[in-house]
Amino acid sequence: MTQIMKGGQPFFIPAGSTGCLLLHGFTGTPNEMHWMGEYLNGRGFTVLAPRLFGHGTQLADMYRARWQDWAASAEDGYYLLKGSCDKIVIVGLSMGGALSLLLSSYLPVLGVIAMAAPYEIHDWMVRRLRAILPILSLIYKSRAKGPSGIFDPMAEQVHVDYEGYPVRGGYELQGLLAEMRSGLPRLHKPLLLINSKLDETVPPEHAQAIYDTVPASDKEILVLEEGGHVIPRDLARQTAFKAAGDFVQHVTSGSG
Amino acid sequence: MSYVRAGAEPFFIPAGETGCLLTHGFTASPQEVRDLGAHLAQQGLTVLGVRLFAHGTKLEDMNRARWTDWLGSIEDGYHLLASQCARIFFVGSSVGGSLSLILATRFPPDGVVTLATPFHLPPNPRLKRLKPILKPLSYLLPAIAKGPPDWHDPRAQDERVAYTGYPLRAILELERLLAAMRSALPKVHAPALLMHSKNDRFIPPEHMPQIYERLGSADKRILWVEDSSHVITCDAEREVVFQHVTAFIQRIVASQSEGVRDEPVA
Repeated sequence: MTQIMKGGQPFFIPAGSTGCLLLHGFTGTPNEMHWMGEYLNGRGFTVLAPRLFGHGTQLADMYRARWQDWAASAEDGYYLLKGSCDKIVIVGLSMGGALSLLLSSYLPVLGVIAMAAPYEIHDWMVRRLRAILPILSLIYKSRAKGPSGIFDPMAEQVHVDYEGYPVRGGYELQGLLAEMRSGLPRLHKPLLLINSKLDETVPPEHAQAIYDTVPASDKEILVLEEGGHVIPRDLARQTAFKAAGDFVQHVTSGSG
Repeated sequence: MSYVRAGAEPFFIPAGETGCLLTHGFTASPQEVRDLGAHLAQQGLTVLGVRLFAHGTKLEDMNRARWTDWLGSIEDGYHLLASQCARIFFVGSSVGGSLSLILATRFPPDGVVTLATPFHLPPNPRLKRLKPILKPLSYLLPAIAKGPPDWHDPRAQDERVAYTGYPLRAILELERLLAAMRSALPKVHAPALLMHSKNDRFIPPEHMPQIYERLGSADKRILWVEDSSHVITCDAEREVVFQHVTAFIQRIVASQSEGVRDEPVA
């Protein structure tokens, strides 16, 4: 008996005492972060990607998920990684990026990388129906996903995620983003935001809004010309990986 | 601030090639197996203590949990540990032992240790009458208070990080989990060590022989302690428990490496 789908398993690749906590996105799996994890591990960093609650099993599990569960799963990953690393950088994609920013506002990490992290939800349904979503989601539990938005056909083929969006999850995402936004003014850690110009889900304007809110002095936005929302799987991933590797090197190479 | 309560964090202590996956019990937290983990790590074993879903956060979270979520949590721990260790042992306290046995049918470990693991839910006449309405009732009454602690070592209570009540809805899930464990028992073939206290006031000691009899393992043994109540990893005889768990793991590891030595040298 197994609970987790193939590709949905969390992963841990030990190396040095600098660790990268890799957080996947909404309805995604740790698999999204795997190539990036292998790259960062190749540069001598220990990497750990937790499975966020309700992900990598079956879509129905998402109906019971609250955003605090995702924050707790991400924290679990942090505490496990801390067992083998004394310097930690959090790296997240999309909702995982939002979690990275939230956790970095209260955990003693050395830096944060957020890829395609949303500042707020633009989806009309989620925004207009917010107040009734918890009730609505009892009847209207999920809705179909559009195309994945991955430009790389090879990556598109091996993408592991749910086939639909949980309606309740839209409500939870808003809760998470509200919490993230309230944490941003306390974020003084070095920050790298990576976005794709062609990302239709979370366009680069979101990065600008996050950038403008964060008081950190060491902050940067990298806009990729190729690929879409799922940055660590798409066409410009090598550029993103290299920038992330350099950033981790830079923020952890100080004293100690 | 933190969403996981202080003291309830999962833990990982890297050491040798042999890894131990430690799992806590129902309504408890990784704190329940943290000292055991520290002891095993001192013996050169890599240890990973998982936090089961909805544990170590808020009691209300428990009523959203399904037993398969807990299986998912322990499976997560397995995958993380397996990437680091060639040999893996499962060690579970109470219901953590039940989850270890279920997981053992899917990912056979080198050995499994269950500590005060229940065979079924202890009969509770009050609960039996409520059972048909437990689900709707859980919306009005999310949890019932636990009885007074009955530690043989009262200091264990000071360090305890656990919920103070039993979540009603989750009791149904516990029942399903234990049913899954009972059907898993004959399919478990890993060497097994079972421990229980004769003075367990919560899970009667008779549960251990019931598990033992149905377990498919050829190499299986039971060990009793006496001066403890249910949570034997934290109670008065915890050091004895730690030593028996260590000895069990070291025996299996030694027999495996002997097996390697027996092979003809080319």
